[in-house]
Amino acid sequence: MKLQAVTLHETLNLETLSDNYLMNKVRDGDPEKLGLLYERYKRPLLGFFIGMLRDKELSEDLVQNTFARILKYRHLYRGDGDFRTWMFHIARNVKNDHFKKKRVDQVPVDKWTERIGHSEIRSEEIQQEEELGMLSIAMERLSEEKREVLLLSKYQEKKYQEIGLLLGCSESAVKVKVFRALQELKAVYQQLEKTY
Amino acid sequence: MENEKVNELILKYNEGLATQNEILLIEKLVETGEIDLTQLESLHKLDEKITHQPDAVPSIEMDHRFYEMLGREKRKATSFTFSLPEWNVLFPRLALGCALILVGFVSGFWIKQPTAGSEVTQLTLQVAELKEMMMISLLEKESATERLKAVSLTQEITDPSKKVTAALLKTLNADPNVNVRLAALDALQGYVNLADVRVGLVRSIALQESPLVQLALAELMAVIQEKSSVSELKKVLDKKETPKEVKDKIKKSLDVLI
Repeated sequence: MKLQAVTLHETLNLETLSDNYLMNKVRDGDPEKLGLLYERYKRPLLGFFIGMLRDKELSEDLVQNTFARILKYRHLYRGDGDFRTWMFHIARNVKNDHFKKKRVDQVPVDKWTERIGHSEIRSEEIQQEEELGMLSIAMERLSEEKREVLLLSKYQEKKYQEIGLLLGCSESAVKVKVFRALQELKAVYQQLEKTY
Repeated sequence: MENEKVNELILKYNEGLATQNEILLIEKLVETGEIDLTQLESLHKLDEKITHQPDAVPSIEMDHRFYEMLGREKRKATSFTFSLPEWNVLFPRLALGCALILVGFVSGFWIKQPTAGSEVTQLTLQVAELKEMMMISLLEKESATERLKAVSLTQEITDPSKKVTAALLKTLNADPNVNVRLAALDALQGYVNLADVRVGLVRSIALQESPLVQLALAELMAVIQEKSSVSELKKVLDKKETPKEVKDKIKKSLDVLI
């Protein structure tokens, strides 16, 4: 019991440790700490890749590649910035390398339109699902650049300065990019609402 | 832009009545930070929808693959520390270390050499001085064996001082033991290049009473071609008490010298 309590206490302490602390540990020869960072960021990363590629299996591969690169280039981690920004920087490179190898086919939009078109029972749950489906379709119809800035805005929790570091532009330029992307998304979304 | 006008613009946008030019103006105000994106309701709602869009659940296979990779990395970290990237980082440091060692070695060699040489010379001198002191003190001992030891010590002195040669000549002339005198003569043979020694040896000829020492001295004079010894050797030759064997030897030496 005592041992279990100690282990639990240690686990809780570890979970409260900062990203930078953990990544510094990984860099300094304790790769096991990457497990905690993986648990923290596997979902956001997967969401980012799915948002960009619309392919879960492929996205899971890219999450794996991202963490493999984090391990490979851990000696380059300086620890003076935001780990999440550094991680998304690597994730974007992984995604770009994938795009270079093979231009992704158009998203299976038909699947979504099929589902929305055949919905007859409009319960609240289904309606919500439909809305999310339409949002996904609308997102899909945005350019890669606009889709990416909206996904980064989501997964970087609206930290426009950090996103600016990733995209190589100022914080105010990021705000404009987000504004334009949302404007276009709104237009596409409204168009979809009219259609269905 | 005045706050009131900005609020009017936001209101118009939220009601869907903003013109294209007004939207461009809003974009500029977003850029300058005078309008926050959250103030634009329709955009904010969409943004919120994106934010709350549920994330896909990673498969167990994804977790499995990650932890498999992590396990491999852990094993690598504990068993093999010289991975390629680490070596790449380490190599310049190693090269620098080697270069510094080399520079240290070379400069040490050049800087240290004269110092070491002078130290060795100084030590050699000190040892020689000690040996001389020991030899002189041993020559004053009563025991013939000790005096013989003293004489043999001179063989280790390559550059003897005048004190040493003087002590050896004194031993050759005055030591009561013939073996010690012979040993002293033997030792002085190594210093015949010194003028003082040569003069001392010539003077010693007439002082010697032992036929063994007389023989040895006559032989040595011939070997070193010391012509100034002729008169001294003739004095010994003219003495009645000089043994026949000695006289014969002296005659032979005089034949060589004259």
